[in-house]
Amino acid sequence: MSTNARDMPRREGQFEREPARRVFAAELRECRYQFKDGEDEKSPTFVLLPSGERSNRIFIVGTLTEKTRQGEQNMFYRGRVVDPTGTFFVMAGSYQPEAMQQLAKIEPPQFVAVIGKASIYQKDPASAPLVSVRVESITVVDKDTRDLWVLDAAMHTLDRVDAFAKEPTPDILKAKEQYPTIDPSLFRKIAYDALAQIKM
Amino acid sequence: MDYSEAANRISRKFAQGGQTPDVTKIEGKLRRLVDEFGVQPSEAERSVTSELAKEYNLPAPGSGGSSGAGGSGGGTQEKKIAEGVPGEWVTIEGKIVALSAPASASIAQSGIIADDSGAIRFVVWAKSNAPAMAEGSWYRIESAVMDEYKGVANLKVHSGTTIKEIAEDRSLIPTPTPIKDLRPGIGGVRAKFVQEWEANHERMLQSGLLGDETGTIKFVIWKEPGKEKLVPGAVYNIFYAQVDEFNGRLSLNLNAATILQEEGEIAVSGGEAAFTGAIVHIAPGSGIIKRCPVEGCNRALSRQNYCPVHEIQPKFVYDLRIKGWLDDGEKTHNVLIQRDVVEALTGISLAKAQEIAENNPLGMDEVFLQMRDAVLGRYITCHGREIDGRLLVNKCEKVAFSTGDHTALLNRAGGAPS
Repeated sequence: MSTNARDMPRREGQFEREPARRVFAAELRECRYQFKDGEDEKSPTFVLLPSGERSNRIFIVGTLTEKTRQGEQNMFYRGRVVDPTGTFFVMAGSYQPEAMQQLAKIEPPQFVAVIGKASIYQKDPASAPLVSVRVESITVVDKDTRDLWVLDAAMHTLDRVDAFAKEPTPDILKAKEQYPTIDPSLFRKIAYDALAQIKM
Repeated sequence: MDYSEAANRISRKFAQGGQTPDVTKIEGKLRRLVDEFGVQPSEAERSVTSELAKEYNLPAPGSGGSSGAGGSGGGTQEKKIAEGVPGEWVTIEGKIVALSAPASASIAQSGIIADDSGAIRFVVWAKSNAPAMAEGSWYRIESAVMDEYKGVANLKVHSGTTIKEIAEDRSLIPTPTPIKDLRPGIGGVRAKFVQEWEANHERMLQSGLLGDETGTIKFVIWKEPGKEKLVPGAVYNIFYAQVDEFNGRLSLNLNAATILQEEGEIAVSGGEAAFTGAIVHIAPGSGIIKRCPVEGCNRALSRQNYCPVHEIQPKFVYDLRIKGWLDDGEKTHNVLIQRDVVEALTGISLAKAQEIAENNPLGMDEVFLQMRDAVLGRYITCHGREIDGRLLVNKCEKVAFSTGDHTALLNRAGGAPS
């Protein structure tokens, strides 16, 4: 039968870019669980935030306090980006040449905006897992942008904490299961302290 | 009539497709049609079925249930046009509402045939030796094949098809579809001609944007004897236009459509929108670009000054634009920022950018890099029109720190923990 007409390759729905989540360093460093959404090789990988939201990409603004070049053949840069709550560990390697060049040019300390993807890795099975951010892009920004980000990150953190206490989504249930010892209302306090650090 | 049995029968049809319609709701609708409006039970069942099919965006399932076992396996069923599924042999009765010039010598006739359920394009193969059909007349077409061509349903008349003219003289008044609900195939709209575009092809008579309360859509009319241009600003009832899909975008081909101008007015939704967020990506093709100077073309040229239509254009004109993603933490919006807004946002004027592009060793790349460093990671609000999921930005401003927001957040965070 002529069912072939139906088998013609049809375009899938329009591409949706993963939003960049706003998260403070104090919350991101608690992440221990990452997963892939789908079986496909190209399916996005997510890190589950303890406040119950998945994040593929994150957007952070803080102070680049340190950067180091590492490796000979496979050169890459590591950096530390500090926000009012803690430190993000960022890195850019030869698979992100543009990000690596951007990072190479910046002399700390500077306020920077970083778009990147968080992932969890362990140096060896004995050591504690570390959350690092693979940089897609890093640019120097001003203090106003940093302050705007603190408001933005505080707002999204509070939104997540509030949602966590209400109707559980599948991701919230997963977070309760994966992070049984973390009480997300802790992040409310962290958001408050971060906001309080902004000087008028 | 046993309503619950009929309702279950309908719900089972959709259950096969993975949907779970509300049986009591179906029953209520049937009851209302039959008791309150005196509709025949079989017709009520059919109309509830097709209403659900529309709701789920499915082709209507074959009217198997009530009409009984009509055709044997492989036979052809008499159908309403809207019920046809690609791959089926069908018999339909309908009115020829448009004839168009055959695109090839192997086609004897092509056009659009309609009944009160909908309309479909048809093609009569030259080899079929079918009698010529006349526009405005009704025909019974037996054993034609429904298939799909370029994603659009099509009725093929082949040598095994019989065509009989029938004595019918009803006029069909299709109901217009809201623009946002149009799907590839044949469709009708009531819309206002909101914007005329320059014809970018010598065979094109006119192209532009039609809009209604729900959105806008591109249309095109190709040059053909007897075709007339639409009048900008006027409102039209357009029946039997061909809805094409290209790269995920729909457009209307009006060549075979019936177009009636009317007096009314439509408040077109301009797709006006504003988003606030951080710029998280600047796409290649941003910065300073070269455009094709041919009148009405304006396409971006490649590095080698090559226009996809007009080939090498050494006398290009420069332009500025930023293609990027604006992200609010929940959703990412595709934005296209035009020249004057780019100049204001980056502080780099077109003249300055041109000077950099022509004198810096990195050329146009240097403009891209400088603009990227000036906007990436910044919080801005973009205003503009949203078309096909992309915001065409005509105004934007940087977000300023608000002490009010700061205080409100402090209060919210400091509130009693829940």
